[in-house]
Amino acid sequence: MHIIIIGCGRVGARIASLLSSSGNSVVVIDKNPEAFERLEPSYKGKKIEGIGFDRKVLMEAGIDHADALAAVTNGDNSNVVVASIAAQDFHVPRVVARINDPVRAEIFPKLGITTVSSTLWTSGRIFEYLVSPELHNVYTVGSAGVQLYEFEVQNVLVDRNVRDLSVANEIRVVAITREGIGFIPVLGSVFKRRDRVLVAVDTRSIDKLKSMLGLSS
Amino acid sequence: MQPLSILIIGAGKLGRESGQRLIEAGHRLTFVEKDHQLAEKAKETFGERVITGDGCDPKVLERAGVASVQVIIAATGDDEDNLIIAELAHHVFEVQYVITRVNRPENQWLFTAHRGVDTAFCPVTMMADFIKTEIDKQTAKTHN
Repeated sequence: MHIIIIGCGRVGARIASLLSSSGNSVVVIDKNPEAFERLEPSYKGKKIEGIGFDRKVLMEAGIDHADALAAVTNGDNSNVVVASIAAQDFHVPRVVARINDPVRAEIFPKLGITTVSSTLWTSGRIFEYLVSPELHNVYTVGSAGVQLYEFEVQNVLVDRNVRDLSVANEIRVVAITREGIGFIPVLGSVFKRRDRVLVAVDTRSIDKLKSMLGLSS
Repeated sequence: MQPLSILIIGAGKLGRESGQRLIEAGHRLTFVEKDHQLAEKAKETFGERVITGDGCDPKVLERAGVASVQVIIAATGDDEDNLIIAELAHHVFEVQYVITRVNRPENQWLFTAHRGVDTAFCPVTMMADFIKTEIDKQTAKTHN
């Protein structure tokens, strides 16, 4: 895929390096050339010094044939502007803007701009960890409906079946990591002490999962 | 004349000068300015009409009465901010008429109707055009 990253701060440099090492054609744009020093030495993509919403800069970055674009500078407004240019003017199929302000992070998706709010996401994860350290939210499917949680098997579940933790349409065990090896269990698989379990839960059934795991909700 | 309710974002020289004329013409005006110093300066002339806050923040726009204005003028020195203000004004708050300032002539192409802009003006381009016209007149004279 041909992917353009606007902003080479910690977030941008990390994404660009990951994408480059997984074999994508990557272009990273930043107005400050020193920012490119944050890229991994193995980064093979292109670096362009310039402002992300300059037409010339975007053309040089190959926006007319880009498969995806992420606007991740520390300026919410420039990120939204670049994302809207990519989506509306150049019809880039996948576009995402990083937004720090939680209010704007909820408004712009309504105008057709996909946003990731570092503030909302980080505070959500930290909140989860503080109130239920035994159960980590690792992924949210869509904007809310289904959550993926990870936990370590404690006394309550040891030697019980995956079936005992399965509720149709509400809770399903997706994967188990045992001694560092991951596998997809069947209903008859048996939980062992220290297994790391990945479970998909309907958001409305999180309290039910907690009570099945013997955690206070 | 039916007076209009107008919200001007950015109380720099351009915002203040336009504001002065609009008030003289009898319109109702509110300013939003995020820079404290500029806001204080504007208050000297416009008093309670000036709100200190970031005009790109929907909550600040609400506090400034965006729901009841007919016209919004995004006159900040930042093109990204002016575009965001236009987008919010048109698509979220459904303001009837959105006027925006363009700071960098290279950004002119971004100020389009689908981003919520009804009219965009670029002071640099306007002044450059004016100068060119003046020079053309002088050239015509010297040739005659």
